[in-house]
Amino acid sequence: MKNATRISQRDSIPTRQWVLLAFGLLIATSYLFPVYWMVVSALKSANEVNAAIPTLFPREPTLNAFRWIFERENIGRYLANSFLIAGGSTALTLLLATGSAYALSRVRSIWMDAVLVGVLLSQVLPPPLLVTPMFVILRQLDLVNTYTAVILATTSKTLPFAVIMLRTTFAQIPIEIEEAARVDGCSRLMAFLQVTLPLARVGYIVVGSLVFLQAYGEFVYPMSLMNKQAMQPATVGLYGFVGADYSDWGNAMAFATVMVLPVLIIFVALQKRIVSGLTSGALK
Amino acid sequence: MITWTRRTVLGIGLATAALVAMPATAQTVTMWHIFGQPSEPGLGNIKRWNDANPSTQIDHKFIPFGQLSQQLIKGIATGDVPDLITIDNPNTASFASLGALEDLTDMVAKSSVIKASNFYKGSWGVTQWKGRQWAVPGEANTIALYYNADMFRAKGLDPDKPPKTWSELLAITEKLTDKSKNVYGLGFSAIQNEEGTSQWLAWLEQSGGSLTNLNSPDAVAALQVWTDLVAKEQVSKDALVRRQFEMTNAWTGGGSAMVISGPWELQRMKDVKFDWRVAPMPVRDGKNIQASALGGFVWGIPMGAKNKAGAFKVIEFMSLQPQMAQAWLGGRLPPSPNVVIDNPQFPAAYAAFKKQMEFARPRGPHPEWPTISAAVQTAIQEALTGRAKPAQALEKASKVIAPLLQKNPLPAAQ
Amino acid sequence: MHSIPVASALGTDRLSLRYRFDRALDSALIWPVLVGATVIFLAVFIGYPVIYNLVMSFQEVNVGNLRSMHRPFVGLANYIKLLDDPLFWVVARNTASFVIGNVVLQCLGGLALALYFAQRFPGSGWLRGVILAGWMMPPLVIGGVWKWMLTSDNGVVNFVLQSLGLVSGKIYWLSDPAMSLISVMAANIWFGLPFNMILIAAGLAGIPQDILEAAALDGAGPVRRFFSITLPLLAPTLYALVALSTIYTMRAFDLIWTMTHGGPVDASNIFPVWSYRLSFEVFDFGTGAAISTEMLVIVFLVALVFVRSVRAESRI
Repeated sequence: MKNATRISQRDSIPTRQWVLLAFGLLIATSYLFPVYWMVVSALKSANEVNAAIPTLFPREPTLNAFRWIFERENIGRYLANSFLIAGGSTALTLLLATGSAYALSRVRSIWMDAVLVGVLLSQVLPPPLLVTPMFVILRQLDLVNTYTAVILATTSKTLPFAVIMLRTTFAQIPIEIEEAARVDGCSRLMAFLQVTLPLARVGYIVVGSLVFLQAYGEFVYPMSLMNKQAMQPATVGLYGFVGADYSDWGNAMAFATVMVLPVLIIFVALQKRIVSGLTSGALK
Repeated sequence: MITWTRRTVLGIGLATAALVAMPATAQTVTMWHIFGQPSEPGLGNIKRWNDANPSTQIDHKFIPFGQLSQQLIKGIATGDVPDLITIDNPNTASFASLGALEDLTDMVAKSSVIKASNFYKGSWGVTQWKGRQWAVPGEANTIALYYNADMFRAKGLDPDKPPKTWSELLAITEKLTDKSKNVYGLGFSAIQNEEGTSQWLAWLEQSGGSLTNLNSPDAVAALQVWTDLVAKEQVSKDALVRRQFEMTNAWTGGGSAMVISGPWELQRMKDVKFDWRVAPMPVRDGKNIQASALGGFVWGIPMGAKNKAGAFKVIEFMSLQPQMAQAWLGGRLPPSPNVVIDNPQFPAAYAAFKKQMEFARPRGPHPEWPTISAAVQTAIQEALTGRAKPAQALEKASKVIAPLLQKNPLPAAQ
Repeated sequence: MHSIPVASALGTDRLSLRYRFDRALDSALIWPVLVGATVIFLAVFIGYPVIYNLVMSFQEVNVGNLRSMHRPFVGLANYIKLLDDPLFWVVARNTASFVIGNVVLQCLGGLALALYFAQRFPGSGWLRGVILAGWMMPPLVIGGVWKWMLTSDNGVVNFVLQSLGLVSGKIYWLSDPAMSLISVMAANIWFGLPFNMILIAAGLAGIPQDILEAAALDGAGPVRRFFSITLPLLAPTLYALVALSTIYTMRAFDLIWTMTHGGPVDASNIFPVWSYRLSFEVFDFGTGAAISTEMLVIVFLVALVFVRSVRAESRI
């Protein structure tokens, strides 16, 4: 019976699929309009950007803004730094989060509740207010002016999020599956590594991606914890366009477009893995 | 497995730290500055110093303008201060009174370059506090009236006769406002931060009012003018949330006929397609007081800086004629009336701003300037949004400001 | 102990380190150890700064004494000053509206998007990935773009609304105190939607398909299936999301700072913005710290609610 239902759905009116797609496209394009606006503004001349009547499509498209940022700003270096910091933070976050998320998902006790509350509370304060004491700590560890410092600081921001979301992921994996593996002779560690983790694959990809993006967009910590201009990531470079007396939005948009593009490409490519994970019904 | 990986990460991290951290020798001057764009004259000057002084290099770091105070404060709190920093001039007294800056009086006394006669009175005045000197002017600017000569001609006005008084300005603004074309007559910034205050102070002072007496009819008149312009939709309501640069954006795009802003806008005038001019600020009829707020940064040496002598030498270098003359290339004015700039770009604009600089008045010096400014900003916002009448709004502001001025009076106006 | 070691099915030696390691993992002590890494990390990097702020909120702090921790102790004076300030209630109200509006709309929006794109149609996965582009934009740029779009005079939004004839005059999205909070909320919701969407989508993926199919065969319609099966199974994800969203929104700063600076007349001023202004524009650190402490208290209550929901979690 099950198969019959499935087959009949597949052969059902294909127009339904097209309608869904059309409507989906509409949703996506409406949502993405600000992103479109960012890219389009980067292609407009300075005058057109400020025109009294806005144009939805550049009348005289120009690559001036892009030329400016590639020639004058050291965008390659900025992006390399951004990826380094984001990658390092993601790795460290997922590493630290795994153990605690798993423990929190399996054990219920007043201590675990306290840890959960503590983890949530640790996210309340925005980085500008945390950065001064954090600098003091990092100086004690003699880590000031290093990428490590920024990675540690950024991880402190993303770790709570990872713990909470991975906890939920693990909680969705029934403990019976692990216990079945242990009955078969696996040690707890093996059960975790060979049974639980693969089932949590999708969760890791999603949480890891979001952590990466958060770290990629981090601004306060790199700005405050590193004094070397050459180590700064793209987010700091972006603020160079908003100065004491100017807000150079045109060039800023070009910079932001170039900043977002590599990440976007990676994500669209990763999307395939997420889709396969999400549609395969991992628990089967 | 997990422990091993973490150890490796930490190990790699520490190794990187060792490689990257360069020991600061006594021959380095660390500088934090706000020169964001690669074309900033400040960056050019830093390079000139570095080329001329291979044994004493400036190790500089850019800090976004909005972060400057925060970074300096964090530096003081943690003892990680640079040797030299650029500070927005109205904040000088605050930082000085709270012990954040080194006392430069003695170094200045011995200097042959840094002398009061070499700087505008207003710029120099801002750097003094309680009889001592805490900073050296780095740059100066003020505001003037930009206008679109083509629009003047289109409405039958003579672009060679820009408005010289408030009544002329208001009449022209009315004439040039064209709702059907989405054009406002005038633009200025009333944003809720220091830019808004610095814009309005010109009107307050030209009106004959002052911060010591915000309840006076003159002061109220100055705010009333702004309120009326916004209420009549001759100035965009967005002035409340836009910076000066953004209001000028609207002007270059043809959204307003005139805009009040500073010389930093000149950088992009080459892209402007219409006939644009600059004129000094119009004065209030009957009062004939020329005044506008003084802007620009000052050089300061934070308390606890390691290389004070080196930092001061850099300041002297930056205050020499060749370096100061670079300022105009970036649309900034040197803080000195004696600097000669040959063949300035935009000579007419240069003349207009140089003239206005003679009347530029400092903000403060007052240790509580940020609080005073915040009270003024609130008053402006309340009046312009219609939440309160100008008189009421200013009454409220003066309640905050009066006690502060009693404790620390402002110096008399020049 | 010295008998001949017996290799188990996995080839581990009873005396070998590996075997002992595996046995150690079986003990109940492993849980605190696993959690310990996170706890210690956060205690060092967040705990200390939080205490630093807490201590500062009870002191009179200015730039002069910022360096040393020895500052005049003023007890609750900063807090009292805070509550006496009429601005406090304005900011509190703004923060409440901002947070509640954001969390509810982001969650509902994310749910709607996740459900929509969970359907099988060509390109659904790809479109979902592209929507994530919204979350990749740095807040400074989002603030800038939305500020542009919402400009009263030549902003795209007003332009489109007027061209379509939906409004007759200009809407002052940012400069009208009545609208500015709504505008920054809209921008923030826009920003948060992909985040919510993707997390709910991951949660949806964890729901076994056969339960849904069995229910369909039993005659349950899609609405009934959603409310009886999907929603309860999605509950843990939703609770986590609401807790996190609330905290993130309470922390929102960059966007508002760029778009309106908290104005006009403090109409879009929320706690983190106010705290920043007090600390770094007026240099009143003690009061700035008091605000952040008070934010902690609010989040503590939210966290308690979340923990209760975790306790109520039932397994499939």
